[in-house]
Amino acid sequence: MKRSEALIEIDNIHKSFGDFEVLKGISLSVNEGEAVCIIGPSGSGKSTVLRCINGLLPIDEGYIRVGNHRVHELRSEKEMRPLRHQVSMVFQQYNLFPHKTALENIMMAPIQVLGHERAEVEDRARKLLEKVRLGNKADAYPGMLSGGQQQRVAIARALAMQPEIILFDEVTAALDPETVKEVLLTIRELVDDGLTCILVTHEMKFAREVADRVCFTDHGLIVENAPPADLFDNPQDPRTREFLGQVL
Amino acid sequence: MNMTFELSYEGKKRLVIGGVLAAIAAWIAVDAMAGGAEHWGRVFVRLPLLLTGQGDGWPITGGFALNILLSIASMAVATVLGTLLGISTLAQSPYLRLPAFFIMNFLRNSPWLVLLFAMLFILPFQVEVFGLRIPFPPFVKAVIGLALPTAANLSEVVRGAVQSIHSGQWEAARALGYTTPQIYRHVILPQALRRMIPGWMNLYALLTIATALATVTGIQDVLTILNTSLAMESERVLVYFYLTTLFLFFAYCYPIAIFARRLERAVKGDNI
Repeated sequence: MKRSEALIEIDNIHKSFGDFEVLKGISLSVNEGEAVCIIGPSGSGKSTVLRCINGLLPIDEGYIRVGNHRVHELRSEKEMRPLRHQVSMVFQQYNLFPHKTALENIMMAPIQVLGHERAEVEDRARKLLEKVRLGNKADAYPGMLSGGQQQRVAIARALAMQPEIILFDEVTAALDPETVKEVLLTIRELVDDGLTCILVTHEMKFAREVADRVCFTDHGLIVENAPPADLFDNPQDPRTREFLGQVL
Repeated sequence: MNMTFELSYEGKKRLVIGGVLAAIAAWIAVDAMAGGAEHWGRVFVRLPLLLTGQGDGWPITGGFALNILLSIASMAVATVLGTLLGISTLAQSPYLRLPAFFIMNFLRNSPWLVLLFAMLFILPFQVEVFGLRIPFPPFVKAVIGLALPTAANLSEVVRGAVQSIHSGQWEAARALGYTTPQIYRHVILPQALRRMIPGWMNLYALLTIATALATVTGIQDVLTILNTSLAMESERVLVYFYLTTLFLFFAYCYPIAIFARRLERAVKGDNI
């Protein structure tokens, strides 16, 4: 049952950690092929929104639909599986599995979770490593790679699940300035390929260049939601103006 | 000319250990000349009995070899039980977590000797499953009796190792669609295993020492042999037998403890 044609539909979600209400009624819809950036001060609930979309965090109240999945109604990890197939996630701390090589990191889930053929998965994984320009690092362990390289392996790992949507959670926040560029380049290519992306980011320049839409969150609410040109050059809300004044 | 020898900490340590060893060697030499040599000779003649339970040294039916076998069998059982128990104490469901927590704490706070005695009476002589008769000889009772407290202690090692894995690993695995048992199997346990090894080895050394308690089950372990077959030896000679037995345990367990400590240092602060 869909309320709209959007690929992702979030309606009035609430989430608290103990007494602290992180999300106070967030609503957002994302169309297929769209790249949406979420910006805002830390602690405003940006990352929490992402984790609610793929069911890593259960919401207290509200409605989330991704494709045909009503996320707020899924209860077990098993029920989540088709959703996790459709939605991949890339993390700030990469979270690669340190006991597996880059290639194995990419191949694990498609084989063990999706039950795909090993030979076919390996072929796919090697192509993805080429795509993120790490074709020569297939047998390297994460500990031997730089932060930027690890993050690109993590992106390849997310892509290997053949998702329709990728969530990026401050993926450049832990990187050196020089390596940020290579990761952003990889993400830009994905957006250009037409993959639906939601990015939580502090890279304002990147958000402006890549995003179809930018959302500014503050204190658990989406304060402003507009195309980047409008939001950055002509912010309507005083809180947006204040935030942009600080970071730009 | 001013000649002083600056000794490092390691150097001093080596000097002290060397001194102690030299003192022991000197005492043994003096004692041997005062008649101890004859006693040592007696120990040497009966050593095969002490080690294997047979005067000829073959076939192996008991003795110190049985203690080793018992420690290995108990550790195998304890490793399986302890891993399950440790993971259960981390379960989300209180129906799994609370009983596991209770069992762990109960076993951890039980005297090993009492547990061994209890197993003698609690476990039946044999059980019948689908017409199949499974006997519970004293050795099996000893294995279970020693495995239970070891498993409880190991579960804490497992729990600590699992909890030390960064929460991002869980998040990433869940985001890839893994279920909880799969996450343990493919992501958490392979990493936790490395961190468990030092604790596991320490426990094994402790367990080996505790196998001497199993003499209460009546198995022909080294202590039973000391108390029965060698009971006819003179009291004076028995002192030498007991010293030898203590040394056997030391010689087997101390290298394990040393190795565990070295591994602990190697594992500390590493990312894997």
